[in-house]
Amino acid sequence: MKRPTLLCLFLLLLAITTIQAKEYTVKDIPMVHLQNRTRYVSNPDGILSSAAVATMDSILYALEQKTGIQTVVAVVTGIEGGDCFDFAYRLGEETGVGQKGRDNGLVILLSTDERCIQFATGYGLEGTLPDALCKRIQNRYMLPHFKDNDWDTGMVEGIRAINGYLDGSMENTDDEEDEDVMAVVLTLLAFCGIIGIVIVYLVWRANRCPNCKKHQLQRVNSQVIARNNGIKTEEVTYLCRHCGHTFTRREKSEDENYRGPRNHGGGTIFMGGGFGGSSGGGFSGGSFGGGSFGGGGAGSRF
Amino acid sequence: MKKSTIIVIAVIAIIAIWGVSSYNGMVKMEETVNTEWSNVENQYQRRSDLIPNLVNTVKGYASHEKETFQAVVDARTKATQMTISADDLTPEKMQEFQKVQGEVGSALGRLLAITEAYPDLKANENFKELQAQLEGTENRISVERKKFNDAARSYNTAIRTFPRNLLAGIFGFDKRPYFEAEEGAEKAPKVEF
Repeated sequence: MKRPTLLCLFLLLLAITTIQAKEYTVKDIPMVHLQNRTRYVSNPDGILSSAAVATMDSILYALEQKTGIQTVVAVVTGIEGGDCFDFAYRLGEETGVGQKGRDNGLVILLSTDERCIQFATGYGLEGTLPDALCKRIQNRYMLPHFKDNDWDTGMVEGIRAINGYLDGSMENTDDEEDEDVMAVVLTLLAFCGIIGIVIVYLVWRANRCPNCKKHQLQRVNSQVIARNNGIKTEEVTYLCRHCGHTFTRREKSEDENYRGPRNHGGGTIFMGGGFGGSSGGGFSGGSFGGGSFGGGGAGSRF
Repeated sequence: MKKSTIIVIAVIAIIAIWGVSSYNGMVKMEETVNTEWSNVENQYQRRSDLIPNLVNTVKGYASHEKETFQAVVDARTKATQMTISADDLTPEKMQEFQKVQGEVGSALGRLLAITEAYPDLKANENFKELQAQLEGTENRISVERKKFNDAARSYNTAIRTFPRNLLAGIFGFDKRPYFEAEEGAEKAPKVEF
């Protein structure tokens, strides 16, 4: 008695979870480009054939090499909320597709449940790929095939058409790298400046007469009282040229004549540091620049 | 120098540094809000610029729908006359702006509704692309409105939290109004093909 009920429950649960798994949220879309920088087409449900995906990937890779335009193609069975424009726009913002500052990202979304195709263009692409053109590409090259559920042909033809319009529209420049370098150089300069100021202050303070507070000390005599592990301790006598006050102070310094092992840490602070933090493309994984979207693009239902 | 003097000077210096940096931060945020506002206005302007072309295209097929055309043109004229500079963005002005633009939206909605009755017009390539542009503009408007609201929200939060509200009070940083949630009349005309 019990077993069939449990089995039924289990099957029901399975059915529910599989239905839910079909509705993608923006975060669920696997970003294949991040694992492999030659890939752009996310096809988690296997709607497209691998041959079609490979063709599109190679077109889009060549496009990015030539123009810097970055693309995300997502082909899914269904999306959460059912608003294709909103989904494509958020996918663009979330992934940051497009170079920073140039905002030349492009998102292409095909959802077979909603039966919609949606382009979202970054701010920088709105001029070269205006909404009307997006619509024309969809009407001419994609919709006729999508109406027959021929996803492969429709997508490949659409990507080809987009490539035809975008190829040669802009040059691939990497401005962002320069900005990064500039930032690092500026930080380093500021760092050195602060250290310099601190050193100057310390020297200035050491050079002050404890009696009259004037900076006119003169070193008149010194006597070594200890040598220890390369550190030399001296008793130095100073004379203030302003008020004639004399006093002695013990000072430690490096012993130039010492040849043995040194066991102090001074001067080696920076050994372990190093300024890493280089950004972008790992060995094979790609990255998106952080382009921004303003709601450009067009969508169609079929 | 006495120790207490040094401490007093240090405290004053810290307060001064905090004051300068949070004042600059507020100026920066205010500028972001202003930029977002001009983006919003630009997108509404873009929609207004599309209207004459759209009306003319529809006229070619449905010349007798004079009232609908007139309503769109009137609403557009009223909307283009109204520009608000970001500095005197009061809640009342914001509401009026939304109302005027909402009228343009609903007039456009009626215009697009009557085109449903003209299959020739709907098949016209030029009209299809105009409609794509209009749809794209409506999308841009909603994106920019959202971005404006986000910028205004973080600015308002910044100027109203303690202790920065004291500084905001001294230098006259005012709260900015938000775009209200979309009303039915303002909803972008959804056109399915």
